[in-house]
Amino acid sequence: MRTNVIRVLATAVLMAVLGASAALAATPPPAGDAKPVEKSRKDLTPMPEGWTALRQEEAIKQAHKQYPFVEDVLMEDLPLRQQRLRNMGIGYKDIKQSYILLDSPYVDTYEKQYDPVRFMHSKHAASLDGDCAACHHYRPADPNAPETVSCRSCHQDTRTDANTERIGLKAAYHMQCMNCHEQMKKGPVNCVGCHTKRSVDHKELVRLPENPKPQEVTAECLRCHQEAGDDMLATAHWLWRGPSPYTTEHRKSVMSGKGTTTLNNF
Amino acid sequence: MTHKPTPVDRPFWTPGTLVMLALMIAAAVTLVIRYTYGLSAVSNLNNHYPWGIWIGLDVASGVALAAGGFTTAFLAHIMGRHYYEAVTRPALLTAALGYTFVALAVSIDIGRTWAIWKPVFYQNHNSALFEVAMCVMVYVTVLWIEFIPVLAERLGKKIPLLAFLDRTLDKTMWVFIILGVVLSCMHQSSLGTLLVIAPTKVSPLWYTPFLPLLFLTSAFAVGYPMVVVETTIATSSLKLESEMNVLTPLSKITVLLLGIYMVLKIGDLVLRGAYVTLLDGSAQSTAFLVEVGLGVVIPWIMLLFKAVRQSRRLLFTTALMIVLGVMLNRFNVFVVSFKAPYATHPYYPAIGEILVTVGAVATIFFLYRVFVTHFPVLSAQRQEVSR
Amino acid sequence: MKLTRRGFLGAVGAAGVAAAAPNNAQAWQSKAPPDPYGCLVDLTRCIGCRKCEQACNEVNRLPEPAVRFDDLTVLDAKRRPDHDTFTVINRYYPGRLDDRAKPAPTFVKVQCMHCQDPACVSACITGALTKEDNGAVHYDVGKCIGCRYCMAACPFEIPAYEYHDPITPRVRKCTFCFERISKEGGKPGCASICPVEAITFGRRNELLLLAKKRIENDPGKYVDRVYGEKEVGGTSWLYVSNVDFEKVGFQKLPEQPMPGITETIQSSLFSYLWSPLALFGVLGAVMGLTGRKEENHDA
Repeated sequence: MRTNVIRVLATAVLMAVLGASAALAATPPPAGDAKPVEKSRKDLTPMPEGWTALRQEEAIKQAHKQYPFVEDVLMEDLPLRQQRLRNMGIGYKDIKQSYILLDSPYVDTYEKQYDPVRFMHSKHAASLDGDCAACHHYRPADPNAPETVSCRSCHQDTRTDANTERIGLKAAYHMQCMNCHEQMKKGPVNCVGCHTKRSVDHKELVRLPENPKPQEVTAECLRCHQEAGDDMLATAHWLWRGPSPYTTEHRKSVMSGKGTTTLNNF
Repeated sequence: MTHKPTPVDRPFWTPGTLVMLALMIAAAVTLVIRYTYGLSAVSNLNNHYPWGIWIGLDVASGVALAAGGFTTAFLAHIMGRHYYEAVTRPALLTAALGYTFVALAVSIDIGRTWAIWKPVFYQNHNSALFEVAMCVMVYVTVLWIEFIPVLAERLGKKIPLLAFLDRTLDKTMWVFIILGVVLSCMHQSSLGTLLVIAPTKVSPLWYTPFLPLLFLTSAFAVGYPMVVVETTIATSSLKLESEMNVLTPLSKITVLLLGIYMVLKIGDLVLRGAYVTLLDGSAQSTAFLVEVGLGVVIPWIMLLFKAVRQSRRLLFTTALMIVLGVMLNRFNVFVVSFKAPYATHPYYPAIGEILVTVGAVATIFFLYRVFVTHFPVLSAQRQEVSR
Repeated sequence: MKLTRRGFLGAVGAAGVAAAAPNNAQAWQSKAPPDPYGCLVDLTRCIGCRKCEQACNEVNRLPEPAVRFDDLTVLDAKRRPDHDTFTVINRYYPGRLDDRAKPAPTFVKVQCMHCQDPACVSACITGALTKEDNGAVHYDVGKCIGCRYCMAACPFEIPAYEYHDPITPRVRKCTFCFERISKEGGKPGCASICPVEAITFGRRNELLLLAKKRIENDPGKYVDRVYGEKEVGGTSWLYVSNVDFEKVGFQKLPEQPMPGITETIQSSLFSYLWSPLALFGVLGAVMGLTGRKEENHDA
């Protein structure tokens, strides 16, 4: 019973925090007039009109560009290649885009669950001290081809013929990034470290009766967001205690708060 | 010589029959639960141990113990040893009842009881279970056909159809008698083939490609001891003559049959080298030692003595040891020896499984009593002793 | 007495045919499809993200799991597939150390191996289980009677059962996404979602070469063995690993296909029902003979 109450309350607070952070700011000072408080869902930090991320359009276009497949690859020992690239003077300065959206039909092999990664090409190159071969491990066999080509030139669909086994683009991305992060002990190796979860239309997911009770709404949220609920119970929003200078008769009560008397728990 | 079979005129309701009835009710309640909440509600069967005592005891042992039916039919009708006809009817009744309950046990154990007819139309000839199912299905029918004359003797006048069938069958009965023996040989052995497909899951003490042969020879061996046991129980509980004049020669044949089984069983164990695990003290090796020692070797040695074969008490004890030995063999092969590679807990039968098994046995006893009371099954004469 | 003995010896002799059967087991023919699909699981690649479990759940429309798929705490329990989970990932620490001298985990995917000569298919009383040309061991609930012989027969202990269902329990196991792979370019759910291609879908013959090539190219990393190449006569699902297979939940299994012996016994004894018919004939003759003798004796 008590845990239920806590849960309900937790979610009520959670929703207030998640959904309508603006409401807090909009709360008028405790004045004498009895006007009901109007809820506001105004975005307090709106994106400037017409703003898009730098070169976003270009990056999206780039991500979906088809590259001719490189069939033959020049196999080369990695240290030799590193040496060669350095001697040729290829490095950080040759980067054309500061970031790349890692998106492609070849990556979308199952119902899309995550948004594409925004790969900071320049930043990674810089932290690798301009060692392009760390990722651009081979070059096309064709001598006229550029020294470094994009991942998807060689990695497209999975190729399973034993002579030219080539992993698909999705696996190539994941293995390159994660193995390196693991080796360097830097950078994320879990899913949401690089991806944002694809936003889901909750209209399809939420299953509620006609006039739901507050508890039902809470339970429904927790059905998927159990962790968010648990986390909330560890935050100051849930655990605060102390005086409540703006609440009549509680101005000096140091034992107020959700962590103690569960005052103001709605 | 022997007497004509007659119905037994003893009071039907005795403490014995009442206990049987109570056990049957307990089993019936379990079955209601099974058909309401599923197999998991009454059994310990799981994904690791798909088969339990319903298959190991009710089906496999049930089939083996009903072997008395075809072995006596072979002796009396096919070999023309009419001297033994006195025991064919009770053996036939036990077999008919036994097989009927094997079929019922199977239909309880399979999840989709209503689909039990499907193997008739969807056939997989590679499956040993398919063959067992077909044989049991036909054999149950054959057994009850063989039983028609018994029914007709009593009810022929009341039910003209029975009398008609009896008359029609008179000329063709030999077909059913031979068919019964053939079908028995087929599925008694195929029952042993069932787990041959899982060499990695059966303990090497029991696993051998010769399992079907061992099952068949042990079925031959257990047939007459089973007749001895059931006749002795029936005659003593109904206070009839002991029929030792028939049982003693039967036990002499058993010496040979059990000997063949013993040689094959031990020979197979030695040739495969599986005896090395015999003394490791595990539950399996203990079960094997009990099965072969108490169930085969010792009774075989006992049967060699004339004194044992002629003493009613000793013969009964020996026969019971053989019967329990073969029962334990079936239980061992299907339950004790079964090693589930990924199981975290061993399988023990649940109370529900035990209740159903005990209830099935009780029902067989109960119906046996009903039949011998109302139909001419037993030939033994009343003992001239005071009640 | 003599006659009795002889008769019984005859019957025992008939059983002797059964005894002889295992000896000519080489006569048994494999019914494995020539060019089935398969999957190659590379244990060195798997990162234990449980995405394959999630895809499997969605593709097969299985009920919501008790533990959500992004909860990785369940990996250490040695789970098994069950009636509403067709595949699971388990984590093992077989003793390998990573560069920080910490035990390195090995993740193992468990699902139906889709044997080339499956014991379950041979055992199934009604033929509800079949080995399809595309490699899938396919289950047809319409034929199933629920006898669970397939479960007793399966060397990998894979088929699971709906024990809670009183009337219509089904046998449940990995379907190899039969419908998906039947379509051109279709892959099983798990193989298509895997972020690191730890599961490679393709023709089994090609995958076998691929697996050997991987081992050959990196002999220091891989154990020189493709699990499923020879086990129980070969399976459609293959595994390569950098640790001993026995240390991470795989069994040592014989190379003979499981159904070999039983099918040899069944077909050599019962093709065209010759042995039952022969036995019937012999018994009939004996019966006629003894019957006539008796008549003579009586006369």
